[in-house]
Amino acid sequence: MSQITRRDFLRIAGAASATGMLGTSMARAAEISKGAARVVVVGGGFGGATCAKYLRRLNHGIAVTLVESSAKFITCPFSNLVLGGLRTMDSITHSFDTLKKKHGINVMHDTVTSIDAAGKKVKLKSGKTLSYDRLVVSPGIDFKYDAIEGYSAKAAEVMPHAWKAGPQTVLLQKKLKAMKNGGTFLIVAPPNPFRCPPGPYERASMIAHYFKEHKPKSKIIILDFKDNFSKEGLFKDGWAKLYPGMIEFVPGAKGGKAVVVDVKNMIVDTELAKHKGDVVNVIPPQTAGKIALASGLTDDTGWCPVDPKSFESKLHPGIHVIGDSSIAGALPKSGFAASSEAKMCAAAIVAALKGDTPAENSFVNTCYSLVGPNYGISVAGVYRNTDKGITEVQGAGGVSPKDAPDSFREQEAKFTVGWYQSITSDIWG
Amino acid sequence: MTLINQLPAVLLCATCLAVFPVAISAADAPTSAPAAVPTVAPPSPAAVVNMINNCFSCHGTDGRSPGAIPSLTGMKAEQALLVLKEFKSGARSGFVMTRLTKGYTDAELEALANYIANNLK
Repeated sequence: MSQITRRDFLRIAGAASATGMLGTSMARAAEISKGAARVVVVGGGFGGATCAKYLRRLNHGIAVTLVESSAKFITCPFSNLVLGGLRTMDSITHSFDTLKKKHGINVMHDTVTSIDAAGKKVKLKSGKTLSYDRLVVSPGIDFKYDAIEGYSAKAAEVMPHAWKAGPQTVLLQKKLKAMKNGGTFLIVAPPNPFRCPPGPYERASMIAHYFKEHKPKSKIIILDFKDNFSKEGLFKDGWAKLYPGMIEFVPGAKGGKAVVVDVKNMIVDTELAKHKGDVVNVIPPQTAGKIALASGLTDDTGWCPVDPKSFESKLHPGIHVIGDSSIAGALPKSGFAASSEAKMCAAAIVAALKGDTPAENSFVNTCYSLVGPNYGISVAGVYRNTDKGITEVQGAGGVSPKDAPDSFREQEAKFTVGWYQSITSDIWG
Repeated sequence: MTLINQLPAVLLCATCLAVFPVAISAADAPTSAPAAVPTVAPPSPAAVVNMINNCFSCHGTDGRSPGAIPSLTGMKAEQALLVLKEFKSGARSGFVMTRLTKGYTDAELEALANYIANNLK
């Protein structure tokens, strides 16, 4: 009993009164050694930063440390608008100051090099070690560079992926600006599952907008591993209206699957044909983030199996995996879904630290895409836990209506901008 | 560990209830609810917090929107419930809200409307 502080006792007693099972709760709460419960969050993106903030909102007594390698976070959402010339890099860059000052989160700009699941410790590149009661891992995605012959991290300097926003976005923009009018821009779109399902097609749209204004004789060819894509009908209607003849979509079954890239000659070799581009954007097949792979949190699929009620890893108890890296049933790998998962994960952790079982959770995904500056489309859905894991509620959700009037697209374009302001302030503000 | 330490624990339990006014109002609601509403159990207070937290991604933290999406603040429960139900039935035209409200039971929409009225100022 000497190890239990007064604060711990209050927490345990409070939990026990809720469950009416003092013994069980004390046994569960024993995972906290002494003092405030410590949660370490790895990754300061849509999943990690949300989780850190909402942990503190739900229980101010929890000591939260957020480990993020970058001094500021640059969002993938709206990076396509940068490519389209509608936004600056600055406007999609977010500081961690408010999370530190207003929400009392200990933000460390460092990199986790290893996780000791049994010892409940993480090691950092700086040499420091952090102990935790619960660990949240939200590392986003990594690339399977070797899935396309000739592609690599080095090749990405010539054919950018620009699928992690930052220098890669700037590099792709620079290449597009240098391209001649009448040039060909190739996008290699990845197979499922991948980060941001509508992303490659919003990118094609935004770059078409840039071409229309500055290089109207240019062409965009999407070489896709898939036969269909997110919001396909809406995108294609928008392309026909705003950029007639400019964007060509090549589905996987009709020669869209990239097999080899030749960086020197700027050629993408698919199963059926060779395509030459003046600028080539290769978005490679993806896996869970590096630290998840290195820590044994992934299964054979390359993604992380989790309990859908808490997002606790099925492979390592005490570690929660959220965002793109997790296998989250029907939820897409979107920034919005990552943030929703993070909120549910935070609530489940707060409950677990008290010795309670998590409350019923529910998830939302709402993603807007800009086809043109005044032409927005959306997809939305509500997701629940069922005996089949996380499934989408039938009869709800879906995409914007087909054949909607221009005013509808215009309003959704305004909501697209509002969405970005809201979600980024909800996460980093 | 002394006996004195156990006293505040009792107080803590009382405050546990106090932070969830929604539960109380939602649990009381069936008596005043229209007869047409299916008798589905209201969601637990913590489940309502989980639901409303998802709303904040578009409507801003605590319903205070910084941009083009409407805030959730300053609404009475009846008003919020009417809007939510009209989105759900299609009586009110909208954008993503007509699609999202269909994902919730009437009892959940009622609990959310109460939360909005009581907690989002």
